[in-house]
Amino acid sequence: MEKSTENNNKQNFLKEGFKGDISKHHKKYLGTEIPEGYFTKSKSSILDKIKEDVKIEVSIATKKQLVFWMRPQFKYIAAASLVFIFSVTVWLQSFNKTDVLDETNFELFAFSDDVLIESLLVDESEIEAFTDATLFNEILVKAELSEQKLDNLVLDNLMLEDSLLDNYIDYRLIETLVL
Amino acid sequence: MSKDADLVKKLQNPALKDIAFSELLDVYQERLYWHIRKIVTTHENADDVLQNTFIRIYKNIQKFEGNSSLHTWMYRIAYNESIRFLENNNKKRYDHIDAISESHLEVLFEDEYFDGDEVQKKLTTIIAGFTEKQQRVFQMKYFDDLSFRKISEILEVSESTLKSTYYTTVKIIEEKIFL
Repeated sequence: MEKSTENNNKQNFLKEGFKGDISKHHKKYLGTEIPEGYFTKSKSSILDKIKEDVKIEVSIATKKQLVFWMRPQFKYIAAASLVFIFSVTVWLQSFNKTDVLDETNFELFAFSDDVLIESLLVDESEIEAFTDATLFNEILVKAELSEQKLDNLVLDNLMLEDSLLDNYIDYRLIETLVL
Repeated sequence: MSKDADLVKKLQNPALKDIAFSELLDVYQERLYWHIRKIVTTHENADDVLQNTFIRIYKNIQKFEGNSSLHTWMYRIAYNESIRFLENNNKKRYDHIDAISESHLEVLFEDEYFDGDEVQKKLTTIIAGFTEKQQRVFQMKYFDDLSFRKISEILEVSESTLKSTYYTTVKIIEEKIFL
């Protein structure tokens, strides 16, 4: 008899489950309760909290609109200004650099062009005369001068050696004769 | 158009939002409260989480795209809010959410809104002995009367796994409750 009651209880537990009133169901099986009129109070409390939150959000949004640097437009203006300043700085730097390079290149090219044009206009006889004079001055004259210097040096040395030898011989002869 | 779809349409219309939200509270407040209460244990905690849940629903209703039912979407928000509440409140005391079950009974039996007899205490004790997932599945099915498809969407677990988990928990309860 006891066993059959137990089996019935087991079957009932599975079959009963949820039936309509969820609060009663929890009270029946779990013993959990709620304060009297809780859901009415909770509903108004939730709605009040939401109204409060919405008010706070609106006031923050209004403040953002009132304060100039918190306005969304300000962000775009500030960003655009920064981009403009940066672009101008970069452009100015590259502009100055180009000028310097151009001037230098222009002078260099002008000088080299002048030299080339001048060289084309010079007569060949003039070039030959110039090369002859340069050759004569630089090679022949200098070589002649250095040869003369060498001869003089040899002669000087020879003369000096002869006189010294003569002096020595004379000195030794006198010394020998006297002694 | 279903009742929920009509409600969503009104909630997403700024002119009708507040009236529709009051209607939403009437329909779902009690069900979500009990869903939350079983996770966070005490009435006081459930009250806080319920308020946060509805505020989140109000703020995010524009993002609801209808991929799941309104009912499932709100349950998921309530579930996530409850888990977040437990993690924040028990961070210092517990390493893992499963460990919370150990103190669950102590807190529940001391709650002024708990008035369970021996059988109810026994059932609560058996449920507290399940893993966190087993508890959620059993409670959602048995106490909240949700379909396996809805539970699957909320917990992101396959229906077959849920069915197996649920029948395992029921079997354990049946075996232990009348011992």
